[in-house]
Order: sequence, then structure tokens, then C-alpha cells
Amino acid sequence: MKFSVSSSDLLKKIQVATGVLPTNAIMPILDDFLMELKGDQLTLIASDLETTLRTVITVNGVEDGTMAVRGKILNDTIKALPEQPIEFAKEENESILVIKTSNGEYKLASDNFEEFPQIPDAVTSEGVEIPVPILESAISRTLFATSNDEMRQAMMGVYLHIQKDKLIFVATDAHKLVKYTYLDFNTSQEGSMIIPKKSLNLVRQALKGSGNVKLNYSNSHVFMEMEDTEIGCRLIDAQFPNYNAVIPTENPNLLTIDRVSFIQSLKRISIYANKTTNQLVLTLDNDGILIKAQDLDYHNEAEEKLSCQYSGDPMEVAFNSKFLVEMLTVLDTDDVIMEFSTPNRASLILPSSSADDEDLLMLVMPVMVNR
Amino acid sequence: MYDRAIVHMDLDSFFVSVECLKNSQLLGKPLLIGGMSSRGVVASCSYEARRFGVHSAMPVKMALRLCPQAIVMRGDMDEYSKYSTLVTDIIGEDAPVFEKSSIDEFYLDISGMDRFFGCFKWTQELRQKVIKESGLPISFGLSVNKLVSKIGTGEAKPNGEKQITKGTERNFLAPLSTRKIPGVGPQTYKKLSFMGIRHIYTLRDIPIRLLEREFGDHGKQLWYKANAKDNSPVVPYTEQKSMSKERTFVEDTLDMVFIRQKIIAMVDDLAYELRKSGKLTCQVTVKIRYADFNTYTKQKRIQYTANNKILLGHILHLFEQLYQRRQLIRLVGIKFGSLVYGNFQINLFDDTVEEIDLLKQMDVIRNRFGAKAIQRASSLSLPVKS
Repeated sequence: MKFSVSSSDLLKKIQVATGVLPTNAIMPILDDFLMELKGDQLTLIASDLETTLRTVITVNGVEDGTMAVRGKILNDTIKALPEQPIEFAKEENESILVIKTSNGEYKLASDNFEEFPQIPDAVTSEGVEIPVPILESAISRTLFATSNDEMRQAMMGVYLHIQKDKLIFVATDAHKLVKYTYLDFNTSQEGSMIIPKKSLNLVRQALKGSGNVKLNYSNSHVFMEMEDTEIGCRLIDAQFPNYNAVIPTENPNLLTIDRVSFIQSLKRISIYANKTTNQLVLTLDNDGILIKAQDLDYHNEAEEKLSCQYSGDPMEVAFNSKFLVEMLTVLDTDDVIMEFSTPNRASLILPSSSADDEDLLMLVMPVMVNR
Repeated sequence: MYDRAIVHMDLDSFFVSVECLKNSQLLGKPLLIGGMSSRGVVASCSYEARRFGVHSAMPVKMALRLCPQAIVMRGDMDEYSKYSTLVTDIIGEDAPVFEKSSIDEFYLDISGMDRFFGCFKWTQELRQKVIKESGLPISFGLSVNKLVSKIGTGEAKPNGEKQITKGTERNFLAPLSTRKIPGVGPQTYKKLSFMGIRHIYTLRDIPIRLLEREFGDHGKQLWYKANAKDNSPVVPYTEQKSMSKERTFVEDTLDMVFIRQKIIAMVDDLAYELRKSGKLTCQVTVKIRYADFNTYTKQKRIQYTANNKILLGHILHLFEQLYQRRQLIRLVGIKFGSLVYGNFQINLFDDTVEEIDLLKQMDVIRNRFGAKAIQRASSLSLPVKS
């Protein structure tokens, strides 16, 4: 096996692929990248048995072949090199990969590539195509809301519901919920799945251009094909909670506020909130909004008054400031709308306007107010 | 180094004194405060009752056998803590540094005061002030460290004062029984007696290594205490770190339905207390004591919460894990640890609006009419109508 390639081209791919490498692998071979060269096409595969990434790089191929080398060492080497063409060479019968650069020569032991696990094939009746920008914005707006609670597997990923005329992405950790809908969509086959967050994170890094991502899925797996990279993963086998039931429909109290100044204010006030609970209280009335926090352990206290438009009953509602800031940050409109019903029901956060083909809805659960 | 001056103040038979203050007819009569049930113990008793051999922590049944004419009262914890706070305020007004070590005990660090007033004089005045303003008898001991002061108070009681000056503390301790050392309970005393160590003067001459071999680390502490050595500082105020509750059953039981009811009731009460003080917990503990007094505990870290339902779920789960031996249960306890200030985060899927509203309304009713005013039916055992 012998080829040469530009270091920066290779680095881009390798950096995404490194994200797949497991932190403590069950099988040592999973620490490796599997590299296959056919003509000028180098295919690089990384897997942790749950998620598999396959990416194709165009190189100057000299001699075809296959090998498996430690992913982390390769990534560290390429990262540390200045931009230049690099030559890779491995003799058929030997187990040493020689990397030649203008700086010098590096020898890296390779493993037996036949040990590398088989990648499951994409079995599906019909694929779905999603434009890259839509998928990108769907992932970046939902991924943060997923849960880290191992006890609730279903919430550790993003729920994707494919309907005939729309695509719905939902993520929740039982305290906040994001629902992103893509409306300019058509398919004949409906389906739903929970995609683990690790894979979506990789997809986000691998996304580029403005084409389409092809999504093939079966009952157990999903495969996302991008321009030159394919990411496949096992789906989370659990029941996603009935999110539609918890979205309150009657919210008579409406708040419209400047997003950026709201975030900045929340951030300042939360410095004075208790560090473990991050709780702050919003007092809403027609004059404006009062944001207040206190840390009883240290007698720290802060409050700010912001102008806003509020129509509804005066009320006092408490939130975890982290949730609010996270949710407001992923929006991009100048103003945001918050809808409330009562202080112990979920509040809605909505952008003041959105594009024709997308729809975004966020829910945040308040903290109990003692009164 | 300057000498330390530590005062230990202790309200004499506190609960009894409060009852007498409220009802002067009780004065001079043998009075017991404690549980009325067959397993209740004496929490406090008047000096008149002590003459009959009654002491605190003794089963009420046995106390009544010793002193059948004694008046037994249930006791009102809320009232006692009110008076305790009153005394704390009086002491806090004057004392530079003080530690409230229990509901009726205080340590004061008044080192350096002798330059101005004389420590003994100052403490006497403080004691008179407490007696005058609260109407409760209080005793104190003044010495160079917490240990000697505490033992001094014990000697000064009832309603007395004692100063053990620097240099005399060893001689003061010497003739006393080893039972008077704080930390020496019936078990340790028994073992010491077997070894022939009944007085502190014997104990202090025992080689420290022998005590360490017999009692472990505790033995080392004993030797230091017997030699009147104690460096522990007066810690002004300690934040409450946990809250707990436990129930000893009238009869040892295996009745899971009954135990469940008791656990539900305890979780309900304790979670209410948690919310009332505006706190959250992230550590729950369950304790089981079997009929043979073997005690087991199990704890678990959870997400910060003060929600009954979540807490009960964790507690019952722990209880099921902990309840291994098919043996009669004597006591069940629960504890919430690692407390922080805050209100609990409502869950999107697990909490329904009705449940949250119910919880809130129950709290409102309890705030107004007391913690026992409203309870869950699942925590009560009612006679079943057939």
C-alpha cells in the first residue's frame, strides 16, 4: 500500500473520524482506523461498534492495499505537521507503516486489519433526502437539550419523526424540550427513530456544502450519507416520551423581549444565584420584567429590571438560568416570545419570526415557587 | 500563648423546666417527658424524679416502676425550640463566640475577657441574665477547654456554677468516675470496670498504647480526656447538613404494608420540612434496625429535588434493596443529606399539573394548620370496613 496526500486534506477527515474512537475500547482494534486504498480513492473507517464513520479521500495512489493503524497517533502526527504533501507506504508482508514528510520519517506499527469488525449494511426500503443547511440547523438547535441520564436511554438522543409532509426533530431531558419542524418536505414512507447524540455530533462536524444528506434507515440502524462521508449508527431502542401531550396549548400570558439583552441580563444575574441550582425568579407585569436571584449561603443577591412587552396577569415564575440561557442562545432572531400559563406549568420560548419552511418550539419547565 | 477560657452552659432538665414555666403546679413534682407508648423512653425528667433512680434514655415503663407517682407528659418540641432560640438570642447578644451544640447546651469562647471583667464574673452575670429573661434554670462550667468545662457543668448542676482554674483541671477530674467522661457510655464503662478502671485517676495513668489496643482510636481519645487535654475549638455556627427521621415500632414487625405506610408518612413529613426550609437534597439514606439490634443503612446520590414522589420512589427502592434478612424489623429511618438552598425543578413528563398543585395546596394547609393537618391516605392505616 502506497500513496501520497496533502496533510490538510487528510487532517480535516481524520479529525472528524477521531470523534468516533471510543474512550475505552472493548476490542483493541477499535482504537484503529481501517484504511483501504483503491486507485486514487482512500476509504477511512472508524467504529466503536455503535457508530461507524466511513469517509473517502482523494489521494495519489501508487499501490492498492488495506491496513489498520492507531487513530490517535495518526491524528496527533498529522495535526502537528505543517502543511505539505505526505507519503504513506506499507509493504505487503510487513506490519510497519512508514510516513515520509519533509520534516522526517515516522514509523507506525499497524494491526491486523482483518480483525476490524464488519460494518452493517444499509437496509432500507426507501431513503429520505434532507438539505444540509436544514439538518445542520436541526442538530444545532436540538442536540443541547438531550439528556445525560443513563437511566433514561430514550432521552439520550434526538427523536426524528418522518411524516409525509414534514420532518420533526425533538430533544428533551425532561426539564426542557426542543421541537424543530421542517415543512418543505415530501416522502411516501413515514417512520420514526431516536438517533444517539454522539452520532449527531459527528454528523454536524462532517456536514459541508449545500447539497442533500441521504438518510437510510432500518428498525435498528440509520445511515447518513453526505458528500464524501457516511455515518451509520445503531438507533436507541426505547420509547420516546409523548412530547405532544406536554406542550401546553393555552398560554394567555405573552412576553416579547429583546433576545440579546435578555441573555446578557440573565448571565449577570446568575452570577449571584446559587451555584448548584442556578435558580432565578422572573417577576412579570405590564411595566416590565424583574430578574432576581439570591444565594442564601453567602447572602449574595442581585436584581435587574428590563423593559419588555408583556400582556397578561402579573406573575412570578422561577427557572434554572442555565436552561434559559442555553435555549435563548440557539435562537437567532432579534426578539423572542415567551408564553406562560401558570407558574408551575411549562413555558414556551419561540422565535419572533421564522423562515417559511421551518418551525421551532422550545419548552422549559419552571422551578417550584414557595408561596 | 494566652490561656483559653471556655464556658459550657447547660439548661437544667430543659424540657421539664419549660413545662414548669408554663404550668407552675408541676413545680416540685416528679415529672417525666417522653413517649407514651410501650417503647417510649424518657427524654427529660425532673430532679424530683431523679431521686427515684430515673434518668433520661430510660424506658418510660421502667421509670414508672421506679416512680409510679410520676406525671408523664408527651412534650412539645416546637415549644422547646422556641425557648431554646430565646436563650440562644440572649447568649448571642453578649458572647463573642458561641457554639450551640444541642437544643440546651452552649459553648462560649471568652479567652481574653479576664483582662476586662474577669471571666468568672462575666459568666455569672450572663447566667443571671439568662435566668432573669427566660425564667429557665441554667448551669455553667468555666475552664480551659470544652471537655473540662462540660464535666464542670455536670458537677455544678442543678442550677449552679463552677470554675476550674488553670492548673487544677487534672486534680479536678482525678476523683471522678470514668462514667462522667463525655463519650463513655454504658458499654465502654462496663469494659473499663472489668479492667478495674473506675476512676479518672486510674485511667490517666494507664499507658496510652494499652488503651489504643483495647479500644482503638477511641482509647486514645479516652486517655487525652482523662488527662484533661482537649484542643477542639468552639465552632460558632454549623449549617444544617442533613435532616432525618426514624420510627421505632411499638412491636417488631414484618408487616410490609404497615412499614410502607410508615415510610410514606416519614417521607411526606420530611419532604415538607425540606420544602418549608427552602432546601433541596441530593442524597437519600435508608436505615433498618432488626429485632436483634443489627442496623444497616444504604444511601444513594440523586438529582437535587424536594419532590415527595421522586424521594419516595428512591427511598422505597433503597428499602427493598436493604431489606435482605427475613427478620422482624424494629426501626426504620430515612435521611436527606447534602442540602442546598433552592426549589425543585418540575419534570416535564413525570409531574402532572394536578400533582404539583396538590403538593402546593398540601403545603399551604400545613403552613397554616400544622404538619399533621393533612396526610396522604396511603400513609394511614384505617380500620377496613367489611
